[in-house]
Amino acid sequence: MAAPKGGYFGKILEIDLSKQTAKERAVSDAECRKYVGGAGMGAYFLTKEYKAGKNPLAEDAFIFVGVGPLNGTYCVSTRTSFVNMSPYTGLLSHAEVGAHFGNEIKWAGWDGIYIKGRSKKPVYLYIKDDKVEFRDAGKIWGKTTEDADEMIRKDVKNDYARTAVIGPAGENEVPFAAVIIERFRAAARTGTGTVMGNKKLKGIAVSGTKAVPVADNKKFYPAAVAAKQLAVDKEAWQGIKRWGTAGLLELKHWVSGSLITKNFQTTWYPDIEYIGAEEANRRFWKRHVACNHCPVHCMKYGVISEGKYAGLIAEGPEYETGGLLGSNLGISDFGGMMALIEAADAYGLDAISLGGVLGFTTECVEKGVLTPADLDGIAPAWGKAEPYMELIKKITFRDGKAGKLLSQGVRKMSQQIGKGSEAWAVETKGKEIAAHDPRGDKPRAYSYAIGTCGGDHHEGTNAEELARWAMINSLVMCSFVGGYPWGKETPGVFLAMLNPLCGWNMNDAEYWTTAKRIITMERCFQVREGISAKDDILHKRFTTETLPAGPKKGAIFTAEDTKKMHDATYSYFGWDAKGIPTEKAMKEASLDYLIEDIKEARKKYKL
Amino acid sequence: MEKEQKKIPNVLQKETTRRGFLKGAAAATGGAVALATVGAAAPKVAKAAEPERKPLYRYLFAERQNCTGCRACEYACNIYHYGVIRPSVSRVHVLKYKNVVDVPVICWHCDDAPCIAACPTTPLAIQKDPKTNGIILNEKLCLGAKCLKCQEACPAEFIRVNPDNGMPLMCDLCGGDPECVKACLAQSGKPQGPCLIAEKLGFGVHHAYRNVTPEEAGEDLLKLLFYPNKSGERR
Repeated sequence: MAAPKGGYFGKILEIDLSKQTAKERAVSDAECRKYVGGAGMGAYFLTKEYKAGKNPLAEDAFIFVGVGPLNGTYCVSTRTSFVNMSPYTGLLSHAEVGAHFGNEIKWAGWDGIYIKGRSKKPVYLYIKDDKVEFRDAGKIWGKTTEDADEMIRKDVKNDYARTAVIGPAGENEVPFAAVIIERFRAAARTGTGTVMGNKKLKGIAVSGTKAVPVADNKKFYPAAVAAKQLAVDKEAWQGIKRWGTAGLLELKHWVSGSLITKNFQTTWYPDIEYIGAEEANRRFWKRHVACNHCPVHCMKYGVISEGKYAGLIAEGPEYETGGLLGSNLGISDFGGMMALIEAADAYGLDAISLGGVLGFTTECVEKGVLTPADLDGIAPAWGKAEPYMELIKKITFRDGKAGKLLSQGVRKMSQQIGKGSEAWAVETKGKEIAAHDPRGDKPRAYSYAIGTCGGDHHEGTNAEELARWAMINSLVMCSFVGGYPWGKETPGVFLAMLNPLCGWNMNDAEYWTTAKRIITMERCFQVREGISAKDDILHKRFTTETLPAGPKKGAIFTAEDTKKMHDATYSYFGWDAKGIPTEKAMKEASLDYLIEDIKEARKKYKL
Repeated sequence: MEKEQKKIPNVLQKETTRRGFLKGAAAATGGAVALATVGAAAPKVAKAAEPERKPLYRYLFAERQNCTGCRACEYACNIYHYGVIRPSVSRVHVLKYKNVVDVPVICWHCDDAPCIAACPTTPLAIQKDPKTNGIILNEKLCLGAKCLKCQEACPAEFIRVNPDNGMPLMCDLCGGDPECVKACLAQSGKPQGPCLIAEKLGFGVHHAYRNVTPEEAGEDLLKLLFYPNKSGERR
């Protein structure tokens, strides 16, 4: 087992919260090269260590906080990946998040943190290089993410430590709880916050002083500089730099016709001018914020200066948060929308799932399936922020009838409510979908329907893109850099950096094989849990209702579109017509250890 | 003009080629004269007549409002001094204050240099480079972790300690052309400009800028950018 030459430290920090012990787990160069890191490495551990039907909240269930080889080097815009089996969907899920947390893990000398076990008392972890402390989180437990972050950094007496914490939602095990990094960035969509809450782990603080080893710095540094320059030169960046992803709110409304509006009833929302980027720029934004070494600074922080929420500091709106908690709820009051977004951040909720749940509830009330009596007297209605704020509090603390009902998520809610509500319970694989309406933005359906996690907007827009994004998520790169500006040059840009960094001689073919391996591996996990082609579909609202207005008026996602999508993806990855990886494809990807599992799954689910 | 006149004897004393001599002469008398007198060799000489000196930066300055917290300055500092990325030993660094504002913490290269005044060794372990205005640390003379009087003395709380050998980390201005400034300029653009600037200001940095700790600067920024509402409360 040869140790990696560079890019990796060759060791993962393995933490057992039950016994409060920390030890080292070695990873070899071969493993690094095969599974890369981040999402890929996490999927490798999950497929290897879990048996089918694992309880995601069991004591020995684990969270993998992964980083890639490029983290902590000169390469721009690297991120952190949280991989675990989601308690929300019961599937493998990974969430990538920006900011400096991942780099700090790398500088502390680790290629990832593997957390299992369950503590008896609330704790948080403080990792300073090789030293790991399990600190009492009794006082921090119950605090919002904002306060928890502040208190942890005070407690460890290190202003330069970076944190990932959960809010009250995670503590109360709301299934779509998020992990919040440095107050405003969220690793959501995976229920990682829920698992952390279940493990009584309030947060992780990391501070590192090491340097990432580089196999050939003379070649790596110029390649990284060139890659950065390539990204800086791209025109597309200027828009994101200036307007953040909030700029897409207007764009998707006026041009693409794919802005989520009132729980996907339409995509036409002229009130966007009151909550979009231009309004934010006029009234709200105060400064631009970047993740590590990133020239884009897509984050915008601001403060509300008037009205009920005056003085509230928040981040956003981003496209997803502004879409889901703005236009999705028919809100035209900017302050109200920002308060909802900040509430999601402060309580540690996944803003996308939260928006989906609130939109669904409102439509239920609108159609008379739910009454305010079922919701503890709260009457949600399009455009009113206050009732939504009440509901968010109820969900966070799972309080009363409303809290218990809404904190289950859309799929279980509609099962409980019945009365035909599944017609507007928009979800894929049990998870609410993001703010791009797939009728207006058809390629997005690949990401929603076939992408590993389900309902995720971030996994590529055609078969090849799925592979490319799997690699980007495993290298743990940002989409605005790794995805778009370097898009056409993939994998050249990455290989130019990876090979000298890690001392490899990877070529294009191996790059794509690795990408396919990661996707197939993730797919195998989902297949073991009973996923097949029948689940790779969009919700029937998109296949039966046409868009009533907007630039894409009359658009619908047809059965042919679904078939085309399935055929293209399955044949690209070598899966059969039911979406199950064939033995040949698995052998090609050297995933022999999963062949038996898939055979069993085929028998069990009659595929 | 005095300096230039001093240079001439140096050039003359050396056994130089004709062009080398012309270079010196051109520098002394000015490009226009050289052009007029030399004639045929003019183009080459005219090029040489351009002042060849490195840009002489005297003070580093941080426009704190413009900082996006990308830490490109730290990366550039690391690359110049170590060749690898290791922000824990970068001189310039960025403090995230309350996770809302980013405060670039820089050495202001004060004229009164409290760090040098506090240095107990003889000869002084910390000295100012007269050419570049950078602070140079002599690691052989420095007492390191035992002393760190300079760290206590720094009014801006800029000086951090190298975790390997306990030596204070001083900003030497990269020999006159600070890398962090270049990196900051390369990263920035629309809508806001760079945060770090290095210019020959002609006067020292105002104490109002210098004599604040990073935390105080953060609090100021927070008040400036994210002002509280009318009742003075913040939520």
